[in-house]
Amino acid sequence: MIEQLNPTLKAFTILVPGVLLGLMFDIFTPLFYLVFVILVTFLFSNISMKKWLLIFTPFVLLAIGFAWMRMLYTRESFAGGEVLFSIWQFDVTTGSVMIAISLGLRSLCFVALSLLFILTTDSTKFMLSLMQQLKISPKITYGVLAGYRFLPTFRHELQVLRQAHRIRGVGRARGIKGRIIQFKRYSIPLLANAIRKAERVAIAMESKGFTGEKERTYYHPMKVGKRDWVFFSTMVGMFFFIVILSYSFGYLNVFGNQF
Amino acid sequence: MTNQWKLKEIVLMSILGVVFAAIYLLFFFFGQTLRNVLMPFGLGEFGYEIIFGIWFIVSIIAAYIIRKPGVAFTSEVIAGVVQVLMGSPAGPMLILTAMVQGAGAEFAFAITKWRDYRLRILVLAGVFAAVFSFAWHLYSSGNITLAAWLIVATFIVRVISGALLAGVLGKWISDQLAKTGVLRGYALGKEMQEERERDAA
Amino acid sequence: MQHKVKTGSPLLEVKGLSFSYEKKEAPVLNQLNFQINQDEFVLLMGASGSGKSTVSLCLNGLYPEAVEGFQSGDIYFEGKHIESLPKGEINKQIGIVFQDPESQFCMIKVEDELAFTLENRNVPTEEMAEKIDHVLNLVNMKAYKHVAIHELSGGQKQKIALASVLLLEPTLLILDEPTANLDPVSSLEFVKLIRNIREEHQLSVLLIEHQVDDWLEDISRVLLLDQRGSIILADTPNSVFQSNKSLIEELGLFIPRVYQKKKESLPIAVAQTSKENCLRLNQVAFKRWKKEIFKEVNLTLQKDEFVAIVGENGAGKSTLLQLMAGLLKPAAGEVSFLNTPLSKWKEQQLRKHLGFVFQNPEHQFITDTVYDEISFGMTLNEIDPQTMKKRTEDLMEHFHLTAHKWKNPFSLSGGQKRRLSVATMLDETPDLLLFDEPTFGQDAKTSEELMRIIQQIQANGTTIVFVTHDMELVDQYCKRVIVLNDFSIALDGRPEELWEQTELLKQARLRPPARLEATEKVGATP
Repeated sequence: MIEQLNPTLKAFTILVPGVLLGLMFDIFTPLFYLVFVILVTFLFSNISMKKWLLIFTPFVLLAIGFAWMRMLYTRESFAGGEVLFSIWQFDVTTGSVMIAISLGLRSLCFVALSLLFILTTDSTKFMLSLMQQLKISPKITYGVLAGYRFLPTFRHELQVLRQAHRIRGVGRARGIKGRIIQFKRYSIPLLANAIRKAERVAIAMESKGFTGEKERTYYHPMKVGKRDWVFFSTMVGMFFFIVILSYSFGYLNVFGNQF
Repeated sequence: MTNQWKLKEIVLMSILGVVFAAIYLLFFFFGQTLRNVLMPFGLGEFGYEIIFGIWFIVSIIAAYIIRKPGVAFTSEVIAGVVQVLMGSPAGPMLILTAMVQGAGAEFAFAITKWRDYRLRILVLAGVFAAVFSFAWHLYSSGNITLAAWLIVATFIVRVISGALLAGVLGKWISDQLAKTGVLRGYALGKEMQEERERDAA
Repeated sequence: MQHKVKTGSPLLEVKGLSFSYEKKEAPVLNQLNFQINQDEFVLLMGASGSGKSTVSLCLNGLYPEAVEGFQSGDIYFEGKHIESLPKGEINKQIGIVFQDPESQFCMIKVEDELAFTLENRNVPTEEMAEKIDHVLNLVNMKAYKHVAIHELSGGQKQKIALASVLLLEPTLLILDEPTANLDPVSSLEFVKLIRNIREEHQLSVLLIEHQVDDWLEDISRVLLLDQRGSIILADTPNSVFQSNKSLIEELGLFIPRVYQKKKESLPIAVAQTSKENCLRLNQVAFKRWKKEIFKEVNLTLQKDEFVAIVGENGAGKSTLLQLMAGLLKPAAGEVSFLNTPLSKWKEQQLRKHLGFVFQNPEHQFITDTVYDEISFGMTLNEIDPQTMKKRTEDLMEHFHLTAHKWKNPFSLSGGQKRRLSVATMLDETPDLLLFDEPTFGQDAKTSEELMRIIQQIQANGTTIVFVTHDMELVDQYCKRVIVLNDFSIALDGRPEELWEQTELLKQARLRPPARLEATEKVGATP
C-alpha cells in the first residue's frame, strides 16, 4: 500500500514524472499517464473513491477553462494545422486544439499525482523522513512542525476576527484600498499573535533540552526499503514506457517538435 | 547556515507560512473573481497575474524581519512545505515552485550581500521572485505555447504585482507589525528601537 | 527522580543575579540572592511586570541568549556553575511547565510530543515506548496516547506539558503559573497531580503564581519580588501572609483566603431591574455541521439585569452568547432584541445598541492608535467631529487611557488592552453588552478593576451578560446565573440556588465560591 511508503522517496517519485511532463505537448502521453496514475491510486492505496472524486472534479472544470484559454491564445509556432473554426476574432487550428488538450491533461496529471501523495502521507512522518533521509537539520524539522501545529488555532482565530469585525461595524471591503486595509486588519492580529507564539514555543522546546544537534535518537526511525524503490521504478518506468509508446505511434511531441 | 538561525526564527518562518496560507486562500478567491470579471473581455489570463505577487510576500517579510542570509529562500520553501502538510492539492510540486520563487527573492538580497533592506531592495526581491517564477511557469504550465504578445503582457503584470504585492505590501505589513512591539527580539524590531532612541536623543 | 540526594542540601544557588532586556533600560531582575534545597517547595510571588517568568528562564540558562539580554551574577546547580555545563544539559535538570497551554508543544500527537523529550535526551529507541506509557500513567492520561494535542482541553494539555517535562527526569521542577489559563476544577486537579507525584518521587519545586490558595499546604518557603525586581522578603508562608499583609497588599498581590477575614455574605450592589424585556430567546435551536447543539432554548433578559452564564468547557456557553448577539443564526426559533426580532434589525443599528467584548481584546482592534480605536464607531455613524472628540476624550479619561492616546493598541499592557476593548463598545450607551470570559487569564487586580467598570456600565442602564468560570464573580456580582450542561439550560436562577445543588455543580465542573467551599469540600473529581 502506498500509505506505508517512505514519504521522502514518495515525494521524489511524484516529482520526477511531474517535472518531465513539462516536456510533452501531445495528447497521448499525458492522457495515458493520467489513466495509469488513477489506476495506481485505486488499486494500491486506501483512498476512498468518493473523497478523491470530491477533490478531483473541480480541477476538471478548472482544467477545461485553462485549456480553453490556451486554445484561443496559442502562439503561431505551436498552432499549426488547418483552421477548424473561429470565435470572435480568434482562429482555432488543429494545432492549438491539440496543445490545449495536452496542457489541460497535463494539469490533471499534476493533480492526480499530488493527491496520490497528499492523501496517503502523514504530515509528521513526512517531516521526520525529510530529516532522516535528506539530513535536514532537526532545528528546521521541529521548527516547521511547531509552527504547523498552530493551524487549528489560526482557523479559529480567523473566525473570531470575522465576528469581531462585524461587532465593530466593519462591513465588507470595497475597492482596492478597502481590501488592503481589510487585509491588514486580519493579518496584523494574526501575525502579532503568531510571533508571540513562535517565541514561546521555541523557548518551551529548548527548555526540554532541544539543541538542534543532528545526533539524536528517533522514536519513529524512517527507512527506505525495497518496496519504495519498486514504487519509484514503476512510476518513472511507466512514464518512459508511455513516452516510447507514443513515439512508436508517432504521436510524441516534445516542445512543439513532432517525433 | 542553520546554525546561525535561532529556533524562534525558524518557528516564525513556519508560522508565517501557516498564516499566509489562510491569506493566500482569500486572495485565491479574489483572483477567481477577477478572472470571472476579466473573462468576457478575453483577459481572464490576467486574473491571477494581478495578484500573483502575494505568493512571494513571505520571503520578503521574513527576510526583512530576520535579516540573515538564506532566510528569503528558506522561508518560501517552508511556506510551501507547510501548505503541503495542510494538504494543498498542488502537492510536492508546490515545494519545487516555492524553491524557484524563493531563489528569486534571495538573489536580490545576495546582490547586496544581505546588508541592504531598504524598500528598493525589497521591491527588487519581489521583481526577481516574479521573474524566476515566470520562467518556471513558461515550462511547467506550458505557458511557452501562448502568443508572444500575451507572454510579454503577463510578464509585465506579474513583475509589477511582485514589486507591489510582495515588495511594497510586505514592507508595509512588517512595519505595521513592528509598531505593535512584538518584533523586539528580531533585527527589524531592534532597528526601530535604535531609531526611536536616536530620535529621543 | 534519578538523583537521590539527602534532603535539605542546596540544589540551586543564585548569587547576585541581575537581568535586563536592553542595555539602557532599568533591570528586570535586581541582585537576586536565594537558594532552593533538595525536596523543597518554594513559591516565588511578585507584582505583574516584576520579572517572575524571567527568573525561570535565567535559571535554566535560556536567557540571556534567547533574547540577547544582559545578565550578571552567578547560578550554581548542585555546586557547579551553570555556564560550565554543556549546552542543553541544565535544561535536562530543570524542567519548566509554562502558563500558556497552547504554545508548549511542537508535535501533533501526544506520544510524539513525549518522544520529542526522550529524543532530546538521546534515549535509545527501544526504551521509549515504556517510558512514555509510564509517564502517561503517572499523569492519568493513558487513554490519550494517540490523540492529537489540539483536541485536548486546556487542563489535559497542561498535564501533557507536565508529562513531557517529567520525562527529562529533572531534579527541579519550575511551574510558571501553570493553572492561570485553566478552569477552576482543572486547576485543582493539576495541583493534586503535582502533590501525588511528589509523594512518590523526590522533586524540588519552584512555583511562580499569584493566586496560591490551592497550593498553600505544599509551600515551604515564599520569595517576594517587588516591582524593581528585588527580593524583599523570604520566609515561611505563615510569616509572609500573616505578619506582612500590608506589604503584599501594597504590591497589589493576592492574599490567600485562609489569611483573609472571613466574609459572611457579600452585598450585591445591583440597581432594581425593571420589567421591560431586553432580549428574548424563543424556542431557539442551533446546529453545527448537522450536529444539534441547542434544542428549544427559552430565555428572557430584563433591562438592567446582570447575568452570568456558566458551565463546563464545550457546554455551549460561547455559542449561546453568539446567538444572543446575532453573530450566529438559529436553525429554528427566534431571538428578539428590544421586542424586535434580530432578523428585522439593520446591522448598523443593531451594532449601536448591542455590544460584545471578546475574550482576547486584540481581536477587536482595527486601527493604529487608542484614539482612533475609540472614535472608530462614531466615525462610522457620522457623528459630528466636535461631539466625537469630546466623547472620545471622556472615554479615554474614564478608562485611564489618556496618557496612551497615540499608542498602538497592541503595545498596551494586558489590563490596558482589556479596558480599551470595553471602551470601544461604549461610544453610544448600548442596551445590551455581552462579555466572553472577561477575566480569564487576568491577574487579580485587572479582574477587579474590570468588574467595577462593568458594574458602572450596568448602573447607567445597560443589561450585562457574561460567560465565566469564576464562581467568585458570580457570587459577588450576580443575581441571576444560567448553568449550561450538555447543551441545555440546567438551571436559571439565583446563585444561592446553584450552590445548593451539589450534584449539578459536580456535573458542570463548577467550584462553589471559597466562602462556601471551606465548610463543604465539593467540586474536584480526580
